[in-house]
Amino acid sequence: MLHRSMVSRPHRYAVRTATAGRAWAMPAALSACAVLAGSAHAETSATVTPLLSPDRLGARSTLSFTTQFADPSAGVPAPVRRSILRFPAGLTLEVPHLRSCSLSHLRARGASGCPAESALGRGRALVEAHLGSQTVAENISLWVFLGPLRNLQPTIEILGQGYTPLDERVVLSGTMGPTGAPYGEALTLLIPPIPTLALEPDASIVTFSLVIGARAQRRARDANTLRLPATCPEGGFPFAAEFTYADGSISNSTAMVPCP
Amino acid sequence: MPDRAAWPFPKPKIRFSVAALLACACLSLAAVAWAGETLTVHASFTPDELSAPPNLSTTMTFASSTGVPRPVSSLVAYGPTGLAVEVRGIATCERARLEIDGPSGCPAESRVGFGGGVGVVELAGVPVKESYTLDFFLAPRERGHLAILIYADAVSPVPLQPVLTARETHGPPPYGFGLAVEVPPVQTVPGAADASVESSYASLGGANIAYYRKIHGERKLVHIRGLVTPPTCPNGGFPFETIVTFEDRTTSTGSYLSPCPRGRR
Repeated sequence: MLHRSMVSRPHRYAVRTATAGRAWAMPAALSACAVLAGSAHAETSATVTPLLSPDRLGARSTLSFTTQFADPSAGVPAPVRRSILRFPAGLTLEVPHLRSCSLSHLRARGASGCPAESALGRGRALVEAHLGSQTVAENISLWVFLGPLRNLQPTIEILGQGYTPLDERVVLSGTMGPTGAPYGEALTLLIPPIPTLALEPDASIVTFSLVIGARAQRRARDANTLRLPATCPEGGFPFAAEFTYADGSISNSTAMVPCP
Repeated sequence: MPDRAAWPFPKPKIRFSVAALLACACLSLAAVAWAGETLTVHASFTPDELSAPPNLSTTMTFASSTGVPRPVSSLVAYGPTGLAVEVRGIATCERARLEIDGPSGCPAESRVGFGGGVGVVELAGVPVKESYTLDFFLAPRERGHLAILIYADAVSPVPLQPVLTARETHGPPPYGFGLAVEVPPVQTVPGAADASVESSYASLGGANIAYYRKIHGERKLVHIRGLVTPPTCPNGGFPFETIVTFEDRTTSTGSYLSPCPRGRR
């Protein structure tokens, strides 16, 4: 999710993030509208909606990134297994204190005990599965953490915790890396199967929303946050996403956040 | 008095051997042969641990030398001594509500399992396969005994939504908790053979099922135990037995020893 173009203090990552899913709704007045287009190569399609708040050039900001999956013919979309999210060039993640939370820790203990300095954001997701004759849904809470460096590249760990009807925990792991223009960096996120009951299909993500960076009203001086590019390309800030599903199909979605 | 299935469509009827599913629920693996027909059952606990609330998943397949398995009219399945059922925290669903409104009429917290399979109906003298799903709901106790409602849903070519009841029973040692199901006659079109089941599966309970409840005014997450495996495993494994009665009143019994959890007896 973040690519790392590190600057001394604070640590600064060029972000082209991708958080696998979707982002929360931000106050409309504060956020820039995103125009998005979804193109599906399979039955399941996805749309992404990025929002930047505030949207002043060069300012500290918060990125809300929302993904919605749909398959009108099946009702429940196919499970997504991998997402590649591409972010505008120049979007950076500022990390004042480089601390990380490990995958093993998240799996074993959840979000508790992770260094506060490793927190990058929060989110929500909705997952569904066809069980018997019914479509069973579950709300998922998400926590985003900076993971340990891997090959000197930043990693992202996303903890998903659902409580009812299944008390279940899933951790999504992602790595940041550079990508081609007009994007800066890309986050490749691997989404593990979300099991339901034996002999029944895995759950599918229907919506996935993340907010990266501390919210303005709660932004602590040392909190991890985003910084917008100093300039905006013609047409706005470009975002793109590619999703690979369990059936092998792929869908793409792009979105543009208008310049401030 | 046997349960009557709910038939919103009066003409075609299927004889769902849903009961067979419950056999699966207590079997690990069994093969029952009779009159050229074979019943193969697989089952497993997830996780495979002692004194734990597992998911019990089962599959059942009928194979017939005549091509179409005979319908099941009743089934009794026993699990091993020590297999417990703890339904505290699970809501219940009234049979009438399920018959009228379908699964959406039952509280989500009353669901105890899901399943499905493939049935066979005869249309114009030709056997036709038909997929169906199964939803299991906890029902109010009947004279102090546990009861489970089974909602079978077949859509095409013959739409059917029968509701069956599985009632608690107990087997002689080394068996324990069991379930008994009466399967009402399920006819298809006039003059055609009763429908039957080619395969079925069920997935009951789970290790991580939880619901919110208000306890002393506070909303708390309550974990459901449901099935609980015995605290010990006898030599040879957990014994299961299933007795199937067919439309012609003949019966077959299948027994199986489910291997003990690894390293545990």
